[in-house]
Amino acid sequence: MVNENLVKDVVKETYKYGFVTDIETEKIEKGLNEDIIKLISQKKEEPKFLLDFRLKAFKKWQKMKEPDWAALRYKKIDYQDIIYYSAPKQKEKISSLDEVDPKLLETFDKLGIPLTEQKKLTNVAVDAVFDSVSIATTFREELAEHGVIFCSISEAVKNHADLIEKYLGTVVPASDNYFAALNSAVFSDGSFVYIPKGVTCPMDLSSYFRINSGDSGQFERTLIVAEESSSVSYLEGCTAPMFDTNTLHAAVVELIALDDASIKYSTVQNWYAGDEEGIGGIFNFVTKRGKCLGKRSKISWSQVETGSAITWKYPSCLLLGEESVGEFYSVALTNNLQQADTGTKMIHIGPRTKSTIVSKGISAGNSKNSYRGLVKMGTKATGSRNYSQCDSMLIGDQASANTFPYIKSQQPNSEIEHEASTCRISEDQLFYLQSRGIEFEEAVSMMVSGFCRDVFNQLPMEFAAEADKLLALKLEGSVG
Amino acid sequence: MEIIEKIKTSKSNVNLTEIQKICLHKLQSSPLPNPKSELWRLSNKSKLSNFLDYTVNEKDSKFDIPYPKNSQSTIRLIIGENCQIKLIEKNYSIQQLSEDELQTYIKEQVSFFKQNENWSELLNLSLSCKNNILGLKINGSKIPPIEIFSHASSNSLNAKTLVIFLEKNCEVELLQVNLGKENSSLSQSTFFCLKENSSVNHGVVSYGENRSNLLNSLNVIQQKNSAYNLGSLHFKFNYARFEISIKQCMGNAKTTIKGMQITKKDEQISTYTKIEFNGPNGFLDQINKSLADDKSHAIFEGSIIVPKIAQRTDASQLSRNLLLSNLAQIDTKPQLEIIADDVKCKHGATISQLNEEELFYMRTRGITLTEASKLQLSSYFQEIISFIPISKDRWDLLDKILNEN
Repeated sequence: MVNENLVKDVVKETYKYGFVTDIETEKIEKGLNEDIIKLISQKKEEPKFLLDFRLKAFKKWQKMKEPDWAALRYKKIDYQDIIYYSAPKQKEKISSLDEVDPKLLETFDKLGIPLTEQKKLTNVAVDAVFDSVSIATTFREELAEHGVIFCSISEAVKNHADLIEKYLGTVVPASDNYFAALNSAVFSDGSFVYIPKGVTCPMDLSSYFRINSGDSGQFERTLIVAEESSSVSYLEGCTAPMFDTNTLHAAVVELIALDDASIKYSTVQNWYAGDEEGIGGIFNFVTKRGKCLGKRSKISWSQVETGSAITWKYPSCLLLGEESVGEFYSVALTNNLQQADTGTKMIHIGPRTKSTIVSKGISAGNSKNSYRGLVKMGTKATGSRNYSQCDSMLIGDQASANTFPYIKSQQPNSEIEHEASTCRISEDQLFYLQSRGIEFEEAVSMMVSGFCRDVFNQLPMEFAAEADKLLALKLEGSVG
Repeated sequence: MEIIEKIKTSKSNVNLTEIQKICLHKLQSSPLPNPKSELWRLSNKSKLSNFLDYTVNEKDSKFDIPYPKNSQSTIRLIIGENCQIKLIEKNYSIQQLSEDELQTYIKEQVSFFKQNENWSELLNLSLSCKNNILGLKINGSKIPPIEIFSHASSNSLNAKTLVIFLEKNCEVELLQVNLGKENSSLSQSTFFCLKENSSVNHGVVSYGENRSNLLNSLNVIQQKNSAYNLGSLHFKFNYARFEISIKQCMGNAKTTIKGMQITKKDEQISTYTKIEFNGPNGFLDQINKSLADDKSHAIFEGSIIVPKIAQRTDASQLSRNLLLSNLAQIDTKPQLEIIADDVKCKHGATISQLNEEELFYMRTRGITLTEASKLQLSSYFQEIISFIPISKDRWDLLDKILNEN
């Protein structure tokens, strides 16, 4: 019999990103109304079309109800008790990184994000978002040489308004769901990526989201457009300080892939998850969707979800183009009192489209981990295929693992396969590893890492290593 | 919908039994199920309202069973024909439940019922008059096979209820046949209570005619070491719902379910199953097959619930579906809700059409396309049909289905 206490010790974790940066910030008053939205828009000097977009979304949001179908329980969110705009005070215009407040650079340095010149060698371009604004984007000149646009969405609104107007809200319309409508009304910053025709992005692009303020929500918006025959790999990371209040994060990510284009979107989500009693932590309500518009286009989502008190997230693919491909690889780890309801939607519309879903859920402590996925074959999706695999691992007898796959087919010439299993850490395997001189904790880590291997193989190299480490850390103290 | 109006206003009717009054009370505030809930969101609203459009018929016209008896020993009962049964033999006994026993058991069950989740049962029990409730207590072994018929007459809605107590160490084969006449609605509720060490091979065959509707609910409670095997087949109904709820009360029980539904024209047939393990060492093996042709719609939703107490549960659920037409559609949702950690649970789902390679192989051997398709379908059906008790050697269900294809 596995020593329960020993196992609990393995999952215990200290959240090393929980520090607060003491920096002067500019905040607007709490609450949400048309004036606040106009104020945000004014602060960001936005064109009229964007203000109209926000106000329209806000009107829709007011008529909508917060969804309650997810297997999540949380205290009611008071949307009027949130600050919708908070930014570190900086000089008006920053022409180089040297002008960024050193405290901010130090913060990102502490988080291991290469913003400063000496660390730029890692060949990953980074857009760093602090509370409501983007503070720096690296490697812009190098990327511009290839015609790649990589900047904060606020800058894109000013410099590439035509592209924003053309694509914003085309994948996730403002009225899509409650949280997407909220985001559309108040989104503050985020990243914009445009890969021109025929270009393979010369380096990985990355966004790093940091919430610093305890009473302001983060509502970022990411838009990635890959023109014909282009390809890009995009990484996203997130952390937040430890507060004993819950902070709201409602993001929207839109991806558009045209003919033969490919987008790989990887996330390591490590928002603060609250303490062992479930106090504090981020409420993470995210709408991520990709549209495979072109023929043979490909969108691949890979995610490692370890943080947040509440996760509500379903990265999806709309497979419109002929022979387009959608992929979803996910590892979701919940511990203590965390709750995650996550999965994907693969909507096959075009003919000969293909999708793969691999989801691994690990629940420890008193947590709740649910996979919720939809696979739909439309009437025109002839010759399309889907394969889904959802595995859950339970650690301890207090955690719960649920699987809710929705499968719908209207096309006889298509095939759908779904399989799911639930297991726990096998004592035999643990015993075997221990008898070979491997420490208990390491053995558990090895087994969890083996369980998640299918997903880690899909992550970019540096992310895979980080994810592996992260899981080991998160599991510290909880295996039972 | 006349029935819904009646439910709303039936408070003062003195002719109602106590159970009817309790159920009506539960339905009165909202007489229809919530169309947005998981259980009802895919259900065709106009078909459901068509189900409720007929007037309730409490007295049946004479019903002739359209199938010959297999052997003289088979016991045949028709719900609603006021049959009196009291068989006490050397090895077994089959007796009717007393009114008190029936009342107590149903009342206890109803106390757990929720308006939306158990809407079909509540509707059934609020419409089912005394004559249309059959309660049986079965004891012993070497019991001859039992066949129980329910039917709905044309242009009416019939509500039939069956309650069966299987005493300790009892073993029985029981086939339930639900027949829907043209333009009819049948509401059938079955309550099974399996005591320790008992075992039943239960078959449910529901066969409709033109524009017939069916709401069929099955409520099973299993005690320790009991084995419940269910083979079911639903076809030719314009609208049918089969709702199965199985509770393994103390664990250590075995459940096997093999079900099939066939839809054609613009029919909608759905199966909803909820299996709860309330004790350790439970076992479940479930397979549900659907075949959807023409403009029809087949639905399967299955949930397996494994709470903390149900350690060492071994459950598997498989949903296999054949979609044969461009206009037909299939929805399937096999779901797992698990809290216990020492369990083996898995589920799978597939939706596809007939295997082209196999068809090609058979055609190269000189078998025509039609014959080859029939052969393939026959193997697809066989697994389920051979699991339905009594009928397997006699009715030739398979031929019936295939010839109608």
